[in-house]
Amino acid sequence: MNVQWWCSALGVPWTWTWRPYLGVWIFVALLASAYARAWRRADAEEDRTQRTGRIAAAAAGILLLWIALDWPVGTLGAGYLASVHMVQYILTSLAAPPLLLAGLPRAAYRRLAERPRALGVTRALTHPVAALIAFDLVTVLTHIPTVVDALMRSQLGTFSFDMAWLATGLMLWWPVFAPVPERPRFLPPLRAIYLFLATVVHMGIAYYLILSRFPVYGIYELAPPTGWISPLRDQQVAGGLMLVVGALVVWTGIAVVMFRWMSAEAAERTDAPPARPLPAPHH
Amino acid sequence: MPYVSNLYRWRALAVLPLLMLLAQGCGPSAAAGTSARQRGYRGVVLPTPLSKPAFSLTDTRGATYDFRARTAGKLTLVYLGYTNCPDVCPVHLANLAAVLRTMPEVARRTEVVFITADPARDTPERIRAWLDNFDPRFVGLRGTPAQTRSVEAALELPRSLVPDTARGAYRVGHAAQVIAFSPDGHAHVVYPFGTRQQDWATDLPRLLDDRWGER
Repeated sequence: MNVQWWCSALGVPWTWTWRPYLGVWIFVALLASAYARAWRRADAEEDRTQRTGRIAAAAAGILLLWIALDWPVGTLGAGYLASVHMVQYILTSLAAPPLLLAGLPRAAYRRLAERPRALGVTRALTHPVAALIAFDLVTVLTHIPTVVDALMRSQLGTFSFDMAWLATGLMLWWPVFAPVPERPRFLPPLRAIYLFLATVVHMGIAYYLILSRFPVYGIYELAPPTGWISPLRDQQVAGGLMLVVGALVVWTGIAVVMFRWMSAEAAERTDAPPARPLPAPHH
Repeated sequence: MPYVSNLYRWRALAVLPLLMLLAQGCGPSAAAGTSARQRGYRGVVLPTPLSKPAFSLTDTRGATYDFRARTAGKLTLVYLGYTNCPDVCPVHLANLAAVLRTMPEVARRTEVVFITADPARDTPERIRAWLDNFDPRFVGLRGTPAQTRSVEAALELPRSLVPDTARGAYRVGHAAQVIAFSPDGHAHVVYPFGTRQQDWATDLPRLLDDRWGER
């Protein structure tokens, strides 16, 4: 059996024969054990009412990452279909990061706050402007045909793609979903605008993929055919996925932000002490 | 392991002539020489043009196909492969078909000729059905193993490697380039595996109209 570290374009005809990716398993196992450890340490101090939801979010985030990186999605995305590569991008960069952030116990963030240097670096990297620029830059770079064609053939190249997507996805979603109120002035309407701005770059890439007359990625155009779809149609599906599913994920994030905001406002109004009666007029 | 099993080995072979051209020098005169030699083509321009050979094989209707006579005055793209090929052959033909669909005028003046390197398995019906997946206008030809070897020699292609056919499933090692015979009856450019649709779209109209200067 051909064991690889990470998925890469192999140039051999596609078969449904399972392929193990050792690096992916180790990465997912390390991530899962880090979360398990964080939750064990936080159990005593964590708010019981939110525990199940947060653990479920973490599990969902890890599962989505695993699906994106391992066989068959990882294999197909690395060397056969641009559309599956786009699914990988959406899962790694857009869908998994908010779940991973929401799935962290608050105690883990508190521990971060106890390390001033780490906190400073995190704050700098997750500043909304820095995060938006990094996310958009990586998104554009990792969809440039020459970059894709050059890097998808090596395991190190695909590993770099996946890690860059995950890292900038976490940066993007941190100011929105990190469960600590780090930036009190970054109000929910601003967060919604911020997330919307992140999708603007998606539109440009998606329309480029949809409207190109010929396939733009050599790696997929010259891949051994799967027989399911032509390279040009596959590329158009990839563009459509980025446009529709990518937007759907981001707009779901926006909806969650707005819903939480409105719920908090309503709760604040309910909890507010009743207005004091005006003093009687003095005669 | 047959040498068609890894696309990237082919791709490396495909870019070798281009790398050799680039490696000849980096000065302006060298660059100008390279440019003149390539004449702006995306394919690999042959240092000596190949004359269109005369041979006859059987087409998918069972009729004799006189290659030189039937393709006279047309841009003729010849490719030698086999229908069980899992990678190079379907990619080449699918890319050609996709580009020709976008250029009806070019397609009208172009003949794509597929010659099987695996006559034992590639029956006329099988070749027709397979080519129809790409473009029903593509011509499919078949000969005896001896005829196939003779055609390969005439096209200056390396001989195909057909393993022991008694064992059923097998791969055939064969040349991976498409030879483009211009309307003047000479092949000036060949297209190795790795040629993209954009490359074909750029070169096909030029191949139809290029007078090849001094010829």
